[in-house]
Amino acid sequence: MATPFKYVGRSYPAPDDSEKVSGKLVYGSDLRLPGMLYARLVLSPHAHATVGSIDTKKALSVPGVVGVYSYHNAPSTPYCRYRIVPGQAGCIDDETLFASTARFVGDRVAAVVAWSLEAASEAARLIEVIYTELPPVLSADAALEPRAALVHSSGNLVHEFDHATGDPAALPAGAVMTCTAVRTQMLHHAAIEPHTCLANFDASGKLTIWSPCQSVYGARTVVADLLGLPYNRVRVVKVPMGGSFGGKQEFILEPVTAYLAMQTGRPVSLTLDREECIRATMVRPEQRSVVRSAVRADGGLLDLDIETLLAAGAYASSSPDYAEAMAHKLTRLYRVRRYRHRGRVAYTTAPVAGGMRGWGAPDIATCAEIHMDQIARQLGMDPLDFRLRNLVHPDDIDPVTGRSVGEARVRQCLERGAEAFGWRDRAAMPPGLGRIRKAVGLACGAHKNGLLSDTFPESNTMTLKMNEDGSLDLNASIHEVGAGSVVTLRTIIAEELDVAPEMISAREADSETSPYDFGCFGSRMTYVCGASARALAAKLRDRLIEAAAELLEVSLGILEAANGRVQRIGVAGTGLSYPQIVQGSRMRHARDMIVTHTYKGTSNPGSYSVQFAEVEVDVLTGLTRVTQVLTAVDIGRAINRGMVEGQCRGAIQAGIGSALCEEVVIDSAGRAGTGGFKNYHLVNAADMPPVTVLLVEHDGDDGPYGAKSVGEIATVPTAAAIVNAVNRALGTAMTTLPLTPERIVATLCETAEIGGRDASCF
Amino acid sequence: MLLSTVVNGTEVSLDIAPDARLIDVLRNALALTGTKEGCAEGECGACTVVIDGAAVNACLVLAAQVQGKSVLTVEGLSSAGQPNALQKKFVELGAIQCGFCTPGMLMSATALLARSRQPSHEEIRRALAGNLCRCTGYAAIIEAVAAAADEEGSQT
Repeated sequence: MATPFKYVGRSYPAPDDSEKVSGKLVYGSDLRLPGMLYARLVLSPHAHATVGSIDTKKALSVPGVVGVYSYHNAPSTPYCRYRIVPGQAGCIDDETLFASTARFVGDRVAAVVAWSLEAASEAARLIEVIYTELPPVLSADAALEPRAALVHSSGNLVHEFDHATGDPAALPAGAVMTCTAVRTQMLHHAAIEPHTCLANFDASGKLTIWSPCQSVYGARTVVADLLGLPYNRVRVVKVPMGGSFGGKQEFILEPVTAYLAMQTGRPVSLTLDREECIRATMVRPEQRSVVRSAVRADGGLLDLDIETLLAAGAYASSSPDYAEAMAHKLTRLYRVRRYRHRGRVAYTTAPVAGGMRGWGAPDIATCAEIHMDQIARQLGMDPLDFRLRNLVHPDDIDPVTGRSVGEARVRQCLERGAEAFGWRDRAAMPPGLGRIRKAVGLACGAHKNGLLSDTFPESNTMTLKMNEDGSLDLNASIHEVGAGSVVTLRTIIAEELDVAPEMISAREADSETSPYDFGCFGSRMTYVCGASARALAAKLRDRLIEAAAELLEVSLGILEAANGRVQRIGVAGTGLSYPQIVQGSRMRHARDMIVTHTYKGTSNPGSYSVQFAEVEVDVLTGLTRVTQVLTAVDIGRAINRGMVEGQCRGAIQAGIGSALCEEVVIDSAGRAGTGGFKNYHLVNAADMPPVTVLLVEHDGDDGPYGAKSVGEIATVPTAAAIVNAVNRALGTAMTTLPLTPERIVATLCETAEIGGRDASCF
Repeated sequence: MLLSTVVNGTEVSLDIAPDARLIDVLRNALALTGTKEGCAEGECGACTVVIDGAAVNACLVLAAQVQGKSVLTVEGLSSAGQPNALQKKFVELGAIQCGFCTPGMLMSATALLARSRQPSHEEIRRALAGNLCRCTGYAAIIEAVAAAADEEGSQT
């Protein structure tokens, strides 16, 4: 295919891939410093309990133990692990370094620091904590009952909202009403590298934190505010990370590790084990949404009314924002006359809920897309036709935000995907009557591009320097999560300056030396930071042309930048090479080829994905196999094509898990994560179906070369597409995820479940 | 106890605790941190090493169990600083994202290719079933192993 691009749109390995295949890349959990101490945490075994006396005598007598810390000897200043910018709205300071009231199984009660991990572990086991148990509150429903125990004295209702927009006029005659209650479950991010952090407080009074995090400046904000240090005395360095998926977005280990380093005056390393990661970091929240709709008999959506109840777990962290995010997805996806979304967020004595890939979008898409299939079934319409009737068009205004959805190509995704998948023929096939029932399902999803909203701005600052040999250094707060951010930015700069990408080196974020950036989340990396990099490179290109004109003593207008030089327009080989310009300009005109640019984001269009899945369900065992997935993504422009496809496939692996097998289950005592990965099943290579990726590319949005986000949107519709396929295969209306074999068999046995309806509907 | 073993082709003699796990001896005593720990219970495969030709989870093996045996870790795959066919294909075909599962994947694939020169895609999927990846969806990894088998097959 002819492309106007020299570098954009090809496939690139990550720059550190050769270190990754040789085992040489030093990840956070591989870091060692001279004189380093090891920390182990003591976590509450109770879901809800007052922490009384803590007997540390035996622990302190273990050889090599340096100290034991708990609320008895550490400050109890409350903080919010989710805060990025100082004074950030919506952040609730309800967590402390060590709990005086344990609010979930896994709450931090104490920490031991020792010269060896073995000594720290042994001592942690020997700490005797006297707990006075309190009544647990294990679901959001239970939390909001009148006599529920209070998780925090402020009350169990953390946040509520009621957003309504559009025309509340009476429904026309013949309108069809549908109601669906859908529950999505707590999920573990399951980054293969466990959570880890290393901190050192040096003799000069500077705290350095090496963390595989998604925001060095956010970690700095939280830690410096908590420990009372000036922002320039807290240096946070982003180190190589073995996956995050949002699980390392919030600052879970940084505060406690930093505190321990300050207390001991030595480097302190803290790494969690898998059970601790599942139970004591954060989970995708459990939420239940009741979706009510009214549609015209011809399938036109009139009203969509949603009530969401979300369990925040023991600390609010990002849950209020997460629930709000859920209310900002569906009006980017469907044209509706009236949209109302009420949400409540409740504290529970369960694992702390927080952001995870898609940040509310998969959660609400799962609810809405199961519902849309139910509407279509009620109308006797093909789910494809029903969606085509209602999906947004390019340049529609999202009635909730008042912003344009941009060059929204979700309809094209649906049409192209349906054709490539063969939807019409396959959807018409009966699922069969035998033990194995086969069917296809589809779902659509919408997400965003960056943080821009009525309450949050969007910007990014970067510096680019060209050296005397023409090589370039990009200085930006990049947080590589494994999704190829470094390569994406290099490719964009290479395209803009017409130099080979290998000429550009880019460091990851270091709050001491790299310019400010909010962090790598919110689907902002390519759309916002990529656009910033493009503008930055264009600025340097202009600077090179100016400098060349000055050196050549010609007018600017006759020069262009191409092939690594500034030449007369259209005349290759004339003019000066970039190295000649850098060197000449410095020596003759005291000009330096370094530029800094602050990019301001002014748009936040929709990102879209439509997915088609085929499943085979064994009605005897309830086991579901996903046999094929096709995803059509409105990517705008693929910068690193191979990585875009890889992101899509990985997102679908996680989405299949959330549909069928992944769940952080808590028992009646509030214990979660017992047994680690033994009891938390990820889709493995043997069970992963073939995935076809279709990319819909176009210009029109503000991202670099039209590029939009992919890593999050790619997982948004997966679970719904699979659930819809299973329901079509079985003639059921299951709405409680995951569709485990047990749940499927139970549903088939009690054929009573109809439409996920319950007393709360109508 | 004194452990005598061969690691990545080099004889090693070490004083170890009898209950030391192989993964800890590799990562701490020998500074071979390419072997990763993801779960400590043999579920994720990030710590896979090859012991006398077999892919084994180093978190489930005592170091004492490799007495007199030969252990290959990810650091032993390249020779003279040059990546082998598997390593090259992993890079070329985009089989790597965060890279934390990569060493374990490479070692499971190494054991597979040692026993099956031209494995089918199905055999590759089964051989990697004990190695979890959260980033890639596995497709590129499976392609990389198949391509490495092809390349090694064509060279011999």
